[in-house]
Amino acid sequence: MVAEGVSCQRCGEAFISLQNHQKILKIAKDKDLDPYQVYFALCQNCRAQFFAEQMIGNSLKRVERVRYSAKRRQEELHPIKKDTRLGTTVYKTECFICNQGCDALVHLKDGVVVRVEGDTSSEVTKGTLCAKGLASKEILYHRERLLYPMKRLGERGEGKWQRITWDEAFDTIVDRLRSIEAGYGSESIVLATGTNRGWVRYFTRFANAYGKQWIGPGIAQCFYPRTSGQMLVLGTNAMENPDYDTTRCMIIWGCNPTNTWPVKGLGMMEAWRRGSRMIVVDPLFSEAASKADMWLQLRPGTDAALALGMLHIIINEGLYDKEFIEKWCFGFKEFKQRVQQFTPEKVEEVTWVPENKVREAARIYATTKPASITQCLSIDQNADTISTSRSIAMLAAITGNIDVPGGNLITMLTRMSPVSDETGRKWLSKEHHEKRLGRAQYPLLAGEACMMGPSAHNHTVWKTMLTGRPYPVKAVYCHGSNMLRTYANTKMVTDALRKLDFFVVADLFPTETVAMADIVLPAASWMERSAVTRNEQTSINHLHLQQKVIELGECRSDLSILNELARRLGFADRMFPSEEAYFDFLLQPSGLTFEELKRRGVVSIPHVFRKYESEGFHTPSRKVQLYDERLISHGYDPLPTYREPDESPIKSTELVKEYPLVITTGGRTPVFRHTELRNVPILREIVPELEASINPKTARALGIDDGDTVIVESPRGSMEAKARVTEGIDPRVIQVPSHWPGINNVNLLMDNEKCAPLIGSAQLRCQLCRVSKKG
Amino acid sequence: MSQKVLLIDLDSCIRCHACEIACRQEHGLTYETKSRWCRVITVGPRSIQQELHMDFIPTICFQCDDPICAYFCPVDAISKREDGMVVIDEKVCTGCKLCVYGCPYGSIFFDETKGITGKCNLCMSRIHHGIEPTCVQHCIGGALQYVSQEELKDITSGEHLLRMGLVYYVSSKWKLRNEKVNKLEDREV
Repeated sequence: MVAEGVSCQRCGEAFISLQNHQKILKIAKDKDLDPYQVYFALCQNCRAQFFAEQMIGNSLKRVERVRYSAKRRQEELHPIKKDTRLGTTVYKTECFICNQGCDALVHLKDGVVVRVEGDTSSEVTKGTLCAKGLASKEILYHRERLLYPMKRLGERGEGKWQRITWDEAFDTIVDRLRSIEAGYGSESIVLATGTNRGWVRYFTRFANAYGKQWIGPGIAQCFYPRTSGQMLVLGTNAMENPDYDTTRCMIIWGCNPTNTWPVKGLGMMEAWRRGSRMIVVDPLFSEAASKADMWLQLRPGTDAALALGMLHIIINEGLYDKEFIEKWCFGFKEFKQRVQQFTPEKVEEVTWVPENKVREAARIYATTKPASITQCLSIDQNADTISTSRSIAMLAAITGNIDVPGGNLITMLTRMSPVSDETGRKWLSKEHHEKRLGRAQYPLLAGEACMMGPSAHNHTVWKTMLTGRPYPVKAVYCHGSNMLRTYANTKMVTDALRKLDFFVVADLFPTETVAMADIVLPAASWMERSAVTRNEQTSINHLHLQQKVIELGECRSDLSILNELARRLGFADRMFPSEEAYFDFLLQPSGLTFEELKRRGVVSIPHVFRKYESEGFHTPSRKVQLYDERLISHGYDPLPTYREPDESPIKSTELVKEYPLVITTGGRTPVFRHTELRNVPILREIVPELEASINPKTARALGIDDGDTVIVESPRGSMEAKARVTEGIDPRVIQVPSHWPGINNVNLLMDNEKCAPLIGSAQLRCQLCRVSKKG
Repeated sequence: MSQKVLLIDLDSCIRCHACEIACRQEHGLTYETKSRWCRVITVGPRSIQQELHMDFIPTICFQCDDPICAYFCPVDAISKREDGMVVIDEKVCTGCKLCVYGCPYGSIFFDETKGITGKCNLCMSRIHHGIEPTCVQHCIGGALQYVSQEELKDITSGEHLLRMGLVYYVSSKWKLRNEKVNKLEDREV
């Protein structure tokens, strides 16, 4: 932009020199372009914005949609082919910029990746790829990538490094881990991992083979709670797999699929265009909510009350599937009794969703057949995550929408891949089970009764590191996790990590967590590694090929690092001799080898509906468990219930005087993935700053204008954000996206002491805070 | 041959920004070029008759019938081709930026690395090879479609349409005066 000149009439920025402006006006006058004069007073960005506002206009009314889409381009599948237009060799692989695994094509020219695009031969992604995936090349060749193993020279966090060889790195790791184990015992070493990147199950196998406890941010507060809840009820995961092809009603529960799981967003939008009804449950007016027929704006953290309220209406109005309940549900009588507590009036009081809306939503969902539910992360981060996910699963069950066309499907992947044998849980000793941190308090996470895992409880691990009780934790070995941003209560995590004797991190970038490490290992990004990908969140009946296309620096795949380490630590026999051998093992049930998959690109089996009719549900009663006796043995309610968040305007009558606003964190943008991708300029340009959503009423009362910097405080600490004043949020609530660095990190505020029972989720979606204008 | 057009279904745009990044990759528009040929603009959330609306508007060069930008170019580098495309001749462009200021829609960009201006050409090279534009391929919401005039009629039944050169916007939210193809000025405001 020019320093001197004419300013934009909207944003006030000088954007054109006086000389040029006069030229423009003169030409406009000469050529009689008067109607457009208004545009000349605006800078380029404001002009586009002004045009968009003008065009969409203000006389809007939702009318019946009649939309048809042109057919998407479909090509034949070639795992490797030539592109004549670009002169490139094209590899079919799986994009793993997030945890989805979407079909992607990588174009290679003279040993350089020149393009990453969607795979038009894919039945799953139909040629699309999201903004994150399309920017993968920027991550691959990012100038800050870690390319060599390094050891730390200065203080923790100082950022002084020395390049070392892989040999030296492995030798140091093995020596230090051995001496720490000898000095402080086996439990003094904790393994840590990040989000699923296709190798998390292998990491778990490594941990179990090594006999060490492990943690991950995505365990107690993402995926595990909602999956464990469903497994209690249905014996499997179904609530993540809506059948968008034929569904006629969708509930999008605490989820914004086009931002978080673009491939699910694709299905959702196709169903929406076909005319399927859409009910969105979200405290924020999200992209999905803007398309919805009905938006249930609930108080953060009250999902279970809403679900139970809907169940109350469905049961009392007799809208449930009587035949299915008689044949396939266990404990309906007790359950019917329980939901009587959740009258629409009470539900309105608790959730802030108007009574009539709860009724209407319940009736729409129960009477439109088939109907599906899409749920995601937000139900994993409240005061009782197991009850929440159980009640939502029950909603699908009692309306007879489990594993039917257009409902919620039970995955076929378990038939295609040996999921249960893979993690090597059998190697864990009795002593190890007894010593695992968080075992007594969170039996579904760290106990032997857990549905998945077992994994140690993260908050208990920090506390143990800090206090040395019940035993010292001295070393952490971590793959792919930026712990200083992802876990609640950043200060506590920082203090805990500082107390370690030895800390190893394998990552792509020098993150703040890497800065604390003693040894840093350069990990491979998705284009630099092979895999057999299977992800329920993408597709429940396909296995896909991920093939390595390039090698960078001395980066190594996580699988090969773990294999080498296992060899040097002396338990190579429990791991696989090579990556290929592991892939062959994964492919066994489908009767293929990895070499064969490389030629085929994909394996799929047709979906079998209503599998329960032949084999029952995989629960103790072989039915849907509305009532669960297993929970009584953990000292817990056998029926789902609602638990008020520990910090809430209803429960914390004292705290609320000082911290009057409910804060809900998380909420994803389409261009970032958790802590990642903020260092990619073309993506950062789209979401340059952290924006906290505040209602205009609240903002006015606090003297905050749109775009002001605000300070958000909680009893744990304070952080800063830019205010985004929007009507899309309740006046009593503020929404702050998570995972931003430094002073913008909302986890500085978050409590991690008060965790959900049974599984130990931090209540990241429903705490209290106060907001003020900075300065 | 009937020229295909780009149909933008505003109902279906879900602001995933895939079109933007796909465009940048296809045309080599690095961050340094400061060129965002394709942009998704958000309007709202705003309350209209007690109902919240949030709309997402993908904008690109519309290939206007009477390109305003061409009036401003002092060296006549911008021309309207017979097939409807508006093209900037890279060899003639001097980088004076008058077209950047002159485009009413903010769709022309000055490429800081090349020193000349550039804009969407509907992925000419892809079209040449019989492939639709990259934004269309990657659109997750299915809002962008590259269709012939006949298909356009089938898909939209000709209603709720706004034509901008080779780009048609369609939205079921509009209450339109004229039910057939509309111009910006014809709409009720």
